[in-house]
Amino acid sequence: MKVLLVDDEQELVSTLAERLGFRGVDVRWTTTGQEAVAMVGRERFDVAVLDVKMPRQSGIQLKKEIESVQPEMKFIFVTGHGSEEDFRVGSAEADRYLAKPLDIEALVRALKEVVAT
Amino acid sequence: MNVKETNAAVWRSVTAESLRFFGAMSASASHEIRNKLAVINEKAGLVEDIAAAIRSGRAADPDRLETQARKIAEQVRQANRIVGALNRLAHTTDQDQGTIDAAELVSLVVELHGRKAAMAQTTIAASGPEIGTPVRTNPFLLANAIGVCLGLAISGADEPRSLTVVTEPTEHGVRIRIQGLSRVDRDEAPGEGRPPSLDALLNILDGDLEEDHRCGEIVLDVKPANPNTTGVSHE
Repeated sequence: MKVLLVDDEQELVSTLAERLGFRGVDVRWTTTGQEAVAMVGRERFDVAVLDVKMPRQSGIQLKKEIESVQPEMKFIFVTGHGSEEDFRVGSAEADRYLAKPLDIEALVRALKEVVAT
Repeated sequence: MNVKETNAAVWRSVTAESLRFFGAMSASASHEIRNKLAVINEKAGLVEDIAAAIRSGRAADPDRLETQARKIAEQVRQANRIVGALNRLAHTTDQDQGTIDAAELVSLVVELHGRKAAMAQTTIAASGPEIGTPVRTNPFLLANAIGVCLGLAISGADEPRSLTVVTEPTEHGVRIRIQGLSRVDRDEAPGEGRPPSLDALLNILDGDLEEDHRCGEIVLDVKPANPNTTGVSHE
């Protein structure tokens, strides 16, 4: 399973990548949507884990851009905002929606489940 | 509408705006704190993962653990700074009138707008004179007025989206200049595009706002408080 992590908080995304690495997940990460799109153009991924609220473009906008390159990819949205509106939009747009702080085992389960569907 | 009714209408607008402002600042700060907690959560988890790997036979790497401990402490320091800023804003409501340093208040409001500015890919720098800029005013309402002005400035910032807020003493009070807005080569009617609640705040604070679209600048002038105008309304 190959996963792309995108979050503008570098310490979060890099640490999450390390922890997923400990669990045998092949991870690439970036802090910008622009770089994420470039990475998707170079490599194939099974799942993208995207922060909903990022500068320049939201996770929802980024998902659309990624889908235009790799339409079969699955998506998990992550947010620290936790408003009902975020939850409604996030749940509707992604295969899974998780709130920060993340439970790493729940994230691994979600990754396996969305790849299996 | 008579003077009493007008005064009551102004205060209703200010009360609603104050709640909106405090709510927005609290939401922004709590979001930032949650992000810091999320990082701390992952860092603590990573330390556990590293410890588990060492127990399973991987060579111990004290430097790696030390790096993570240092990064956790840095996240705690950053979260503490956000809590401190929100706490300082909360305490501006302690008194209806007081003598405050306007430059310090500007720095506080700028700090609290850090996330909003970052989301808009805008940087804000605050500067003030070394001698201080004391003014007798309603501290919370002045913070609110500065916040509304900063919100306008962030949405209207010119490329490379870098704003500067300069606080300077004037003969009658203080002047806060927000520079770096998009320059428009035309005059706009005074107050055009300005939220009505800002006018109500300026009314209570005895302040003036000038938007110089040709210079890309917002200038907020605040005079020392009249004891009868900036206190809580009992009308």
